[in-house]
Amino acid sequence: MTSLPLVGFLALSGALLAVGVFGILTRRNFILLLIAIEIAMNATILNFVYFGAFSPSPAVTLMGQSIAVVLIGFAATEVAVGLAIVLALNRVRRSINVAEANELRL
Amino acid sequence: MDVFSGLFGVAYLIPLLMVASFVVVGLAGKRLPRLEWGGWVAVGFAGAAMVLGVLIGAGEMLHPGTWTNVQYTWFHLPGNGTGPTPNGVRLVVGTLVDPISALLLVVVTVVGFLVLLYSIGYMHHDRGLPRYYAELSLFLAAMTGVVLANNLLEFFVFWELVGVCSYFLIGFYYEKPSAASAAKEAFLVTRVGDVMFLLGIFLYFSAFATQGPAGTGGWAASGFVFAHGSTPFLAGASANSTTLTVAGIMILGGAAGKSAQFPLHVWLPDAMEGPTTVSALIHAATMVAAGVYLLAVTSVFIGFTSFDDLLIVAIGGFTAFYAATMAVVHPDIKRVIAYSTISQLGYMVLAVGAGFAMVGLFHLFTHAFFKALLFLAAGSVIHAVGTQDLFKMGGLRKPMRLTATAFAIGGLALAGIPPFAGFWSKDDILSAVYSQLGAHPAYWPFFLLAFAGVFLTAYYIFRAWFLAFSGDHPRDPTLPHAHEGPWVMQVPLVVLSAFAVGAGLFVFWPSFQGLLFHGLGAAGIPPTYGVTDLTLSAASVALAGAGILLAWRLWGNGRVFVLAESSPAQPIRRLLLNRYYFKAGYDWVGARGLYTVARAADFFDRYVIDGTVHGFERAFAYTSDRMRRIQSGVVSDYAAYVIAGLVAVFLLLLVVAPYLVARLGGT
Repeated sequence: MTSLPLVGFLALSGALLAVGVFGILTRRNFILLLIAIEIAMNATILNFVYFGAFSPSPAVTLMGQSIAVVLIGFAATEVAVGLAIVLALNRVRRSINVAEANELRL
Repeated sequence: MDVFSGLFGVAYLIPLLMVASFVVVGLAGKRLPRLEWGGWVAVGFAGAAMVLGVLIGAGEMLHPGTWTNVQYTWFHLPGNGTGPTPNGVRLVVGTLVDPISALLLVVVTVVGFLVLLYSIGYMHHDRGLPRYYAELSLFLAAMTGVVLANNLLEFFVFWELVGVCSYFLIGFYYEKPSAASAAKEAFLVTRVGDVMFLLGIFLYFSAFATQGPAGTGGWAASGFVFAHGSTPFLAGASANSTTLTVAGIMILGGAAGKSAQFPLHVWLPDAMEGPTTVSALIHAATMVAAGVYLLAVTSVFIGFTSFDDLLIVAIGGFTAFYAATMAVVHPDIKRVIAYSTISQLGYMVLAVGAGFAMVGLFHLFTHAFFKALLFLAAGSVIHAVGTQDLFKMGGLRKPMRLTATAFAIGGLALAGIPPFAGFWSKDDILSAVYSQLGAHPAYWPFFLLAFAGVFLTAYYIFRAWFLAFSGDHPRDPTLPHAHEGPWVMQVPLVVLSAFAVGAGLFVFWPSFQGLLFHGLGAAGIPPTYGVTDLTLSAASVALAGAGILLAWRLWGNGRVFVLAESSPAQPIRRLLLNRYYFKAGYDWVGARGLYTVARAADFFDRYVIDGTVHGFERAFAYTSDRMRRIQSGVVSDYAAYVIAGLVAVFLLLLVVAPYLVARLGGT
């Protein structure tokens, strides 16, 4: 485990972040947008885990993993709110295209 | 003290009566069952004002040299005991009845009443009658205000009011473009003089603020009030004489504007666009004389420096001759008389400049009557035949005997034939100026010009008389059959004729002499009738007689003198008819010079000042319009901005900041 270099893991989260940002910028479908946000967020969560694991201090390791768990919770909450908006939007406009929902209200 | 002197204290009733007339006729004139009724109301008020004015004049003659000053402090700016005005500045309004103002008051109210009466006949056909009477009432209120004012500032206020009334009345037929433009011209030209007058007041204030003339308590405290006593302020004041010379020039400018003296004379002939009655009252007898009155009052109460005196003599003497030359050729009966007015005002100015203010005012007094008479007689003619062109008239003597006689009497008075009024006053002026020639040789050319003007005066007024009245029939057969006007027009002619015959003889009446003597010490003394004066009188009467004879030779019995086309005098005639190209020159200056400046100012205002303001406005509008488009409401756009911002922050932290640290050092 420790033989693998940190930079490789960081490259993985960088790639995930890039995929997420790309999705955020290009997707017009609200659900795909949510998924892209999720991907980008997971890149962040992974970073907490890596840095915790690579730290010599067990306390920091533990803290990194704890924050990761909390952030997963945040992400789930966010998706729940996002999906609720998607449902409401779909009910009112019969469409979940974000480009059409540009009035900042339902 | 009797009832007369009690009246001196209530002289302010005269302007107030005319203001009341202005309000009543102005507001109710159109609602009265007949338009003339408004005229009769105004005539009634003017009659009351005339009674008061004449009583005050009589009182001043019975109590020679009385000064009655009634004043009220308008406001007082307290001083702090130091600085140029330690006692602060007190501005007062009030009336001062003294010999000079009593004399003028009689002229203004009597001529005003007669002209208003005459107007009932002359203007009866006009729809604007209530407006006419309201404006004339306001004019009389303002003019009596000028006469009664007891300080220069109040004088100036009323002076401006008569100016605006003059503007209204010149433009009375405002639907006529020539009348509207003449009104504007009169207003603008006199404005040049008025600005100078105001500057003159300021200069006098600055000259006398610290150190008032002896015995007056200082101008600063008394607020320009005309003080009692016959010593001009200048005699006792050791103020800076350059300031006083410039101030005198400014006052002269104001007087020249109002009294149509060279070079501000151009407006008066054009002012004849107004009704003839207005010309008679405002542009002959009263308002234009206000300039002479201003000069007289200034010379009495303040005094002029010797340079100013020379300048005044020069302008007066030159104008007296210069204006007369233009009257010689003009075909319009009213304009001939208008040029004559300018010329006669020149004589008055000449007298004031030579140090004989009261002699000038005496001529003002007689001139007011015979010039009003000439205008009203001309008005009768115009009323009868409907044209002002002398060359269309002729033979009017038979159908209009009274008018012809009145015009002839006015003409004889103007020409200076004894015993008519003009002879006495004009001869006083000439001999007064002559008496100064020894002390001031520089007056010689202007004395000679004025003397030559006597010949021209007699010639042009009788040329007009012969053209209009002599012969058998009108030269233009299409003229309507002439007839005399109604009695309201005839009575003023008769009364004014009586004055034109007799007003000059007043000078032998001791009470009237008292008025002139007590107006102001030495400057009021009419010349004695010694051998020199009698010789001068004989010479001037001979000149006038020669002028009349020449007029008869060329124009008498219906003759028309036509100057041959090949005559060497033709260019002179054209020069005179074109008024020495002065008006054209002013128009050029106005249209080219001032208009260019105005255009430049307009451009600056429109594109530089407004341009800056609007430029800012447009810049903000453009920017906000662009910025607004960012707010598309599309979530992905906002995400893109967030990411772009993030990238920018990273670039700043990772690239720019290290570079700067490396370049500039530090940590």
